[in-house]
Amino acid sequence: MSRYILWLRKYQGWFGLAGGLCMTIGLYLGLVKSPPDYYQGEVVRIMYLHVPLAQTSLFAYATLFISSIWYLWKRDPLIDNAAHAAAGLGVFFTSAALVTGSIWAKPTWNTWWTWDPRLVSFTVLLLILIGYLMLRMFIDEPERQARFAAILAIVGGVDLPIVKFSVEWWRTLHQPLSVSPRGISYSSDMLTPLLIMAIGVSLLFAYMLMVRTQLLYLRQLLEAKKGRLLSRVQL
Amino acid sequence: MRGLYLRWAGIIGIALVIAWLAAQHYDRAVKTITPGQLLQTRPVGTVRVIGLVQAGSLRVTPQEETTTPPHTPAMILADFELADQQERLPVHYDGPADDNLRELKTLVVVGHLTPDGPDGPAGRRFEAHEFDLLPNYGFITAAYLLALIPMGLFLFGMERRVALLYTVIKETTTYQPERDAVE
Repeated sequence: MSRYILWLRKYQGWFGLAGGLCMTIGLYLGLVKSPPDYYQGEVVRIMYLHVPLAQTSLFAYATLFISSIWYLWKRDPLIDNAAHAAAGLGVFFTSAALVTGSIWAKPTWNTWWTWDPRLVSFTVLLLILIGYLMLRMFIDEPERQARFAAILAIVGGVDLPIVKFSVEWWRTLHQPLSVSPRGISYSSDMLTPLLIMAIGVSLLFAYMLMVRTQLLYLRQLLEAKKGRLLSRVQL
Repeated sequence: MRGLYLRWAGIIGIALVIAWLAAQHYDRAVKTITPGQLLQTRPVGTVRVIGLVQAGSLRVTPQEETTTPPHTPAMILADFELADQQERLPVHYDGPADDNLRELKTLVVVGHLTPDGPDGPAGRRFEAHEFDLLPNYGFITAAYLLALIPMGLFLFGMERRVALLYTVIKETTTYQPERDAVE
């Protein structure tokens, strides 16, 4: 078994534990201690989950993007496993961010959905991730599958800056960047739980990435073992 | 596998404790009742009542000028009726001026119900000292549950499959001597 997989198995628990702890503290501060917003009222508390989920979605795609470049350079199947795992998690986090954002939009914008540049570019990101997973399902040969998927992930990476800066480039209903060179537009009462939740969700993503990478690696390992057994039996 | 199930039982236990604490906090600090529920149950202590300020019922009296720090809202006395679909509740408010206090506006008032007056329950009124924001906790609960429950299930599913795969791979290795025997 790969020593990287053994390393992941050994240390993943710490990431999960730290992520869970940060999220528990962040949820307590966000849901109980932080004040309601002057305009939005209590519903602003959705921010403490929605924003970390959305940031983690971008983080997941960035992981997929970097892993894909790395795979094309090194051709290491384990890096391909990490990219594949990041895409699966990216679908989950992007969907969760869209759902929580939609629920937040209803009481604040009075609509579940609007054709806003941030929302549309984020949905495109979800479609790219789904497309990535579908492409992998349709190609049987592992090396070819990994190569084509990596190319798609790199091309799809063009959406990442569009998602990030859509609120700056176009007039949108979505709020602009809260942390930018112009400063931070949160009060410290809101910033602290948001930061703790962001760290917690990122650590949880790292933990999930480690577990999912192992899952994909072990599946391949099992298939390889079975194949080897079968070939030896046929001999 | 046993360790995995034990760990997840612990996580579910912690989640249930947090949910119970959140429900307690909701009852204590967020839950609102209507004027009809207030007059039926007559709770003792501070409660939060939600209702519509009846048209033509609002009378506001500014309190006498006192030396207050700058940027502090002026103190007012106000009398109005707060209504739901069945009942009308007379409210006396003594506190800072608020932009939300206007007729035909849905408000949450924080205060307590006075004891029965000389005319019996008819003499009761609600003494409010604070206005609060309209509760929209349904959206918050929905957002958190729709994100966190699938996240938990997704993670549990992955961990379970990884644990199963480790077991299967270990067993596969155990049978290697048979493979050699076939050769």
